[in-house]
Amino acid sequence: MSGLSESDLRLFVDSVTRYFAVTSRTPPLISAAYLGTDPVPRHEFNGIVSFSGRFSGQVIVSLPAMAVRELLLIQHETDLSESNLLDAVGEIANTVAGNARQTLGSGLEISVPVTSRGCKGRQPPVRRHPYVISFRWNTHAGLVCVDLDRVA
Amino acid sequence: MKLLVVDDSNVVRSRIARIVQRGALGPVTIVGMARNGQEALRAAMQAPPDVVTMDLTMPGMDGLACIPELLAIRPHANILVISALTDKSTAIKALRLGARGFLPKPFDDDALQLALLSLLKGRP
Repeated sequence: MSGLSESDLRLFVDSVTRYFAVTSRTPPLISAAYLGTDPVPRHEFNGIVSFSGRFSGQVIVSLPAMAVRELLLIQHETDLSESNLLDAVGEIANTVAGNARQTLGSGLEISVPVTSRGCKGRQPPVRRHPYVISFRWNTHAGLVCVDLDRVA
Repeated sequence: MKLLVVDDSNVVRSRIARIVQRGALGPVTIVGMARNGQEALRAAMQAPPDVVTMDLTMPGMDGLACIPELLAIRPHANILVISALTDKSTAIKALRLGARGFLPKPFDDDALQLALLSLLKGRP
């Protein structure tokens, strides 16, 4: 197993930037990228996609409730129930991970997203120090945790 | 136009329905909403769609498995794949299976309307 290269990580930065830019016309501001320690910080709503094949692990998109609500309102969605907020953050994770395949290769298998609120169902990280990309979108904080290793 | 929307995300299904109903596509009737391939086949049997928007990554039967089965029961359905799997080989696979168009996620309202208009112009 080996870590990701800088260009692999750039891919996730670009992917999350593109998601918010296209969906809301407001790209996020990337505030930091660092190696996290367990437990990696999380916001309230989490979308998790697992990877297998050439890479192993998971990618987590984590947002506070207010950010997900605002994103739904921008899309003229009126159902702001918990289940729809979870659905929305799962779809963001699915999009960010799916877009990554364009560069990481189609030999990469990605799961359907699973979602969680708070710390429920938290899995131990694959990497001792997962990559964490934190950003601000409008006034909200968010993060993408890239807990992936390249399979030799 | 009779439209069947297939996506495992409720947010995406609702959004597609809202965009097509307020756009330049003329009258649109949503004949079904499905969360995976099996539900899509059942919906297409009950109410034949002219156009299907088809996600690929879904639990149960995924989009690539669904496309040929759906075309077997509704050969004239125009399928627009809308997916986050934007690698070229996935798009080619979907088109070879019989999809008529491919729209990458994320998408904005204009991109969806344009993709559907192009699909409808090219239909037999």
